[in-house]
Amino acid sequence: MDHDQLPETHARTNEGAPSIDASRLAEVSVGTNRDDLMTRDKVFSVGDLSVSYSGKLALRGVSLEVYKNTVTAFIGPSGCGKSTFIRCFNRMNDLVVGAKVDGSVQYHGKDLYERSVDPVEVRRRIGMVFQKPNPFPKSIYDNVAFGPRVLGQKQGLDELVESCLQRAALWDEVKNRLKEGALGLSGGQQQRLCIARALATSPDVLLMDEPASALDPIATAAIEDLMHDLKREYTIVVVTHNMQQAARVADMTAFFSVEVHEDGKGRNGILVEYDATSKMFTQPADKRTEDYVTGRFG
Amino acid sequence: MRTEFKNRLDALESGLQEQGAVCLRALRGAIDALLSQDVELCDEVVAFDDEIDTRYHRIEKLVEETLALETPVAGDLRLVLAILHVSIHLERIGDQSVTIAKLTKLSARHEQHHDLVEGLREMGERCEEMLRIALDSLANRDVELARTLVDLDELVDNTNRRVVDKVLEMAASPGQQEWGMRMIVVARCLERVGDNAVDIGEQTAFLVTGEFHEFGDASH
Repeated sequence: MDHDQLPETHARTNEGAPSIDASRLAEVSVGTNRDDLMTRDKVFSVGDLSVSYSGKLALRGVSLEVYKNTVTAFIGPSGCGKSTFIRCFNRMNDLVVGAKVDGSVQYHGKDLYERSVDPVEVRRRIGMVFQKPNPFPKSIYDNVAFGPRVLGQKQGLDELVESCLQRAALWDEVKNRLKEGALGLSGGQQQRLCIARALATSPDVLLMDEPASALDPIATAAIEDLMHDLKREYTIVVVTHNMQQAARVADMTAFFSVEVHEDGKGRNGILVEYDATSKMFTQPADKRTEDYVTGRFG
Repeated sequence: MRTEFKNRLDALESGLQEQGAVCLRALRGAIDALLSQDVELCDEVVAFDDEIDTRYHRIEKLVEETLALETPVAGDLRLVLAILHVSIHLERIGDQSVTIAKLTKLSARHEQHHDLVEGLREMGERCEEMLRIALDSLANRDVELARTLVDLDELVDNTNRRVVDKVLEMAASPGQQEWGMRMIVVARCLERVGDNAVDIGEQTAFLVTGEFHEFGDASH
């Protein structure tokens, strides 16, 4: 330390120092403001949603909105209903025997659970990527082309496959072996192939249920970078156990927790807090959120 | 849960309070040396600064490790950030004490002006009180106590202005000009210690409320 006799001052000269490009500084996010996000279009509006399996309540009274071109993360301890909740966004719970969904899920203002809505069309518009990469035992090319072919597309498949693989940041790694089996790819490559496959049906939303939990840190970083890129074109909803992943990739974060019934016999998930990610990880409003994100609970 | 992390935070906080106690000793030493014109004590204060710097670097290293290894968030993150800020302010207070000691040593052969020295004594004691309050407010998460620092700082600033006026009055006495100029710098050092104490109080408020606000505006 310098102990010369000059008094300290707050001011420091920047003479000779490299000039700071203010526009580049502005590009560095200091946390997305919830008010800014709320001016965007609402992709989903969920109202008082409850889900039960065979009469047993799994998730109670969730209301929230998902905004266009954002990444929204659902975090919470095991059994809090976050995976149950994300499956309501593309009616995956329809496939579970005994599942019952109450409340409303509006998608661009239209009720997803209306009788007239075709669940297959819902899943085309709202794609899903699962925890474990699950490519079909087919070639890389056929994996991506599968959805469009099922939907009847015969022309322009080569261009579509290339475009989807590029958007999934996989093209450069597989362009010379498109006819090889997908199961020969690494775990991280398989997961990006599954994302490319989901993109091939021109969805509007990508749902991701623990998309990187089976991957190593480098493959995880690639998926996270991809999420940042993809949100320019898509709206992304992600369930993650990894809180730091939520902090890194999400604009909005919802924290779910478990409530125990009064008789002590049952438990179900609830939404505790939903806010801009930067707020959730610096100044959460609810003590339960603070306890969870700081690792004191869960 | 996260016992190791909790231990790390406890170690950081107790290390910071120890750094604070060491700074108080340095400040007390500098003021005593000034009042008694004790040149040996001046040398001790200067040498003692290494102790403060070592503690500062230890805290800085522990903060760096905590951020890298434990990725604290929310209240824990604010605590770690506040500890780093406060530790820097304490290190600065140590530097101000050194400057006071060096100026005292350089001025030892000059005759002192009684009223002016009394003003510096008042400032020094007030600064000690402020530093204690600042550290207590942090330890007890007491924002109300932290806010009392603003009024105390105003008293330090007022005395500083009085000291400057006295030196200006002395400008006509050639023999006392050099001493007077050095004492202006001493007063300025103490005034900065008061500001550092207020800065520490602001960190208490940040830690508790999650919002950072300056307690006073810079125009005062």
